Amino acid sequence: MNDTPLLRAERLGKVYPDGQVNALVEVTLSIRRGEYVALMGASGSGKSTLLNLLGALDRPTSGEVYFDNRPLSQIDDPDGFRSKKIGFVFQSFFLLPTLTALENVQIPMFEGSLTVRQRAAKAAELLDLVGMKDRAGHRPGQLSVGQRQRVAVARALANDPILLLADEPTGNLDSHSAAAVLDLFDHLHRDKGMTIVLVTHGQEVAERAERTVRLRDGRICADETRIAKAARQAAATS
Amino acid sequence: MRFHQFILKNVFQRKARSALTMLGVGIAVMAVVALVGIADGFERSFRELYERRGVDLLVVRAGSSEHLSSSVPQQVGKQIRELPGVRAVSPGLMDVVSFEQANLTSVLLQGWTADSFLFDNLTILDGRRLRADDDAGVMLGTILARNLGKHAGESLEIANGRFEIVGIYESFNPLENGSAVMLISSLQSLMDRPNQVTGFQVVLDDVPDKKASIERVRTAINALHSPQGRPWGIAATPTRDYVRGTSQIRMAEAMAWMTSIIALIIGIVGVLNTMIMSVFERTREIGILRAIGWRKSRVVRLILYESLLLSIVGAVAGIASAVLLTYALTWWPMVNGLIRGDVAPSVMIQGFFIALAVGLLGGAYPAYRGAHLLPTEALRHE
Repeated sequence: MNDTPLLRAERLGKVYPDGQVNALVEVTLSIRRGEYVALMGASGSGKSTLLNLLGALDRPTSGEVYFDNRPLSQIDDPDGFRSKKIGFVFQSFFLLPTLTALENVQIPMFEGSLTVRQRAAKAAELLDLVGMKDRAGHRPGQLSVGQRQRVAVARALANDPILLLADEPTGNLDSHSAAAVLDLFDHLHRDKGMTIVLVTHGQEVAERAERTVRLRDGRICADETRIAKAARQAAATS
Repeated sequence: MRFHQFILKNVFQRKARSALTMLGVGIAVMAVVALVGIADGFERSFRELYERRGVDLLVVRAGSSEHLSSSVPQQVGKQIRELPGVRAVSPGLMDVVSFEQANLTSVLLQGWTADSFLFDNLTILDGRRLRADDDAGVMLGTILARNLGKHAGESLEIANGRFEIVGIYESFNPLENGSAVMLISSLQSLMDRPNQVTGFQVVLDDVPDKKASIERVRTAINALHSPQGRPWGIAATPTRDYVRGTSQIRMAEAMAWMTSIIALIIGIVGVLNTMIMSVFERTREIGILRAIGWRKSRVVRLILYESLLLSIVGAVAGIASAVLLTYALTWWPMVNGLIRGDVAPSVMIQGFFIALAVGLLGGAYPAYRGAHLLPTEALRHE
């Protein structure tokens, strides 16, 4: 991990079109390259909104998100940018039901320059990485929920992103499957140096990350690294 | 996986809806190809009647939009024959009669002179050719003879006159096979149009610059006068223009296109409905595709290609059905002397491209809608 910020949110605000909800208020946040960050908070605290803004899925009402010091609002092709730089994992997996695992993983690659054969080979490699090689020909309906989420992770990695954004990735999983997915995230972070930002309700899930950012009512109310937290807890008990 | 395989999977996933859409497009294309094909075939048959015989000009009453009612004095033919560059002239009188007992309502009856070159292209299958003294004789085309159940040597009542069928002929042309020919004098007497003809078919000498020759003779014919010095009021028209200007053909074409346009609108609405429902049903799927980096243009292509695929399959089925239907119609006595059994390739190609347009138009709005879905909103869609 280095100290260069990969993502920087400056005074981010988001008001949804009905004008009733201030989903985010003046949120400023910096995430370093290779960092593993958990966004925590109660329902409606703004954590998914923040994740969507960081991933260029939505535009802020005010403020700016910088990716590698480049403001996202000035990127001409946000779809292409998202395709190349960011991988998404969703709580409900969102795999296409008519496609096999191998085909699902290839879907993001259509926007790239790989040949048909290269796409298939790369998808097989990624399924191998997430431990799903032997289920490559299965459709989502033939897989367990944990297996589906692993396929979704493989799909998120299809275009070699440098940032992985996960919205409640273990929200629909049993504890065993959740652990397997989080192990996978650990591996991607530790061994591949991937920057990961995940949204979660669960303390156990957040503890896997090296930094936890807590939101309440659209504002950051706590931002603490695992080391700082451990030091604080040690100081409190001594 | 290739992009087109993804499209195929999407189409096959919704089998019933895809099949119904293809059926809708197919029926629309079948209507277009069959109706336009029949109108086009009618025009081709009519044109062929003259072109295969080398007829260069047709002379009828000037300003007559209904060519069947054109009336020109027969003596004009002699003046036309004497013009330089003219090789042959054949007067013709045409009328339409019905044979109620056989349920035939529009049978073309033609009157020719016994020495007309028009007989040269008829093959006598039964009996013989008309002779100059066959005042009460008639020849029937094969289709008409079959529809009436008549043979050479039998008698036939036409417009309250009794005629002997002297021969059954086969022409190169289905219109002619569905018609009857008698001597022009007999038809003039039957229809009470003494010394009048519908018009003249004029064959010119073969010269290198035929176009100029046609124009020259045409001008000369239009300028002909009666012995009293009054203009005859006739118009010579090149064969192709004459056929195109025939009111029956123009009406048939107009009717075909009007019906076709209605069928096409139904086709477009069908495709539009299917694709908009498909986009609505797949809102979340489109959101996923957008979220994982698909550009708007790829979503547009996805929806348009699906719509085009449905239209193309519908078009192929529709064209094949139209060809079969048109052929089948030639066995129906009411119309089998009027229409050709074939559909011109150009009409089929037209039908195919119309189906592509149906697919594009029907898919355009759903594609626009799909591409402009916000990923975050689409993902929230239940």
